[in-house]
Amino acid sequence: MEQFLLQLQESNFGVWVSSAPTLLAYPTILMLHTVGLAMIVGPAWVLDVRLLGYGARLPVEALRGAFRIMWIGFFINASTGIALFISEADDKGMKWIFWVKLASIALALIVTSRLRRAVFGGGIAADVATPRARSLAKASLLLWFAAITAGRLMAYVK
Amino acid sequence: MFLGFASWLHKTPISVAFQHQVAWLWPTCETLHFAGLALLLGVAGMFDLRLLGFMKRVPISVVKDFMPWALVGFSLNLLTGVIFVVSEPAQYFGNPTWWLKVTFLIIAGLNAFIFETAYGRRAAALPAGEDTPTALKIIAGVSLISWAGVLWAGRMLPFLGAGVGAGL
Repeated sequence: MEQFLLQLQESNFGVWVSSAPTLLAYPTILMLHTVGLAMIVGPAWVLDVRLLGYGARLPVEALRGAFRIMWIGFFINASTGIALFISEADDKGMKWIFWVKLASIALALIVTSRLRRAVFGGGIAADVATPRARSLAKASLLLWFAAITAGRLMAYVK
Repeated sequence: MFLGFASWLHKTPISVAFQHQVAWLWPTCETLHFAGLALLLGVAGMFDLRLLGFMKRVPISVVKDFMPWALVGFSLNLLTGVIFVVSEPAQYFGNPTWWLKVTFLIIAGLNAFIFETAYGRRAAALPAGEDTPTALKIIAGVSLISWAGVLWAGRMLPFLGAGVGAGL
């Protein structure tokens, strides 16, 4: 495993991402990872606070399009995330905090897909969230925050 | 001039206090800065998309009900941003990319101010389903571009222009 991670990190692509003398490599990939974060977590949190009762004049149905933005964000972050992982596979791949980040994202995705089915799965979305939808919204708020926190701590945890 | 101010600020008790707490203060503030960014851009982005003609059946004033959350995100980022600058002023004042970030912030702020003062009432009175006037679409476009600029410059800070003010 260790050997494989080292190979990844020292591959042409890995070395290009981490050390090419251009802003288009590591800096831009990292920047796009933040753009993707905003496109996933921003709409998710808007939907979550709406389901928890804020801005109740807004029909929940109007937020159906949020998932399209989140999907684009997720595509951006999966791609940039893989590139960043390859470039630091040996340094970061085995850190426990990285697994916390991945687990938070996996749980957040499960919660998001259940929330989508619970709220938008049966025709026009109801404007008063069911207790189940409210619980899922709370879980989504917390899990995305956990993913951001673990992601940031990857720069600090040894 | 700013670097003189930076070196003065760096010696103030509050800056020194921040510097001593850096081990937990920076990761905490950085995390909150990213969370605030998502909240601010999520809400402001939704409002801009509405001005651009998405979710047309929803009155603009209804989408505006979410603005307090954008303000929560912005306040969080202003507070944590000030903590970064106060603890390491030269790192920011000496970096042209930081000034570019501030410029984008000012553009975003002026744009929001122009919207509120010149178009706020017109936007609120716009019937649901109606196409938004071009002026509002321009404001929405400027908002999206300037917030993207804030994000771009903020994330590029360590890579572009860093070190200009180093050593202070």
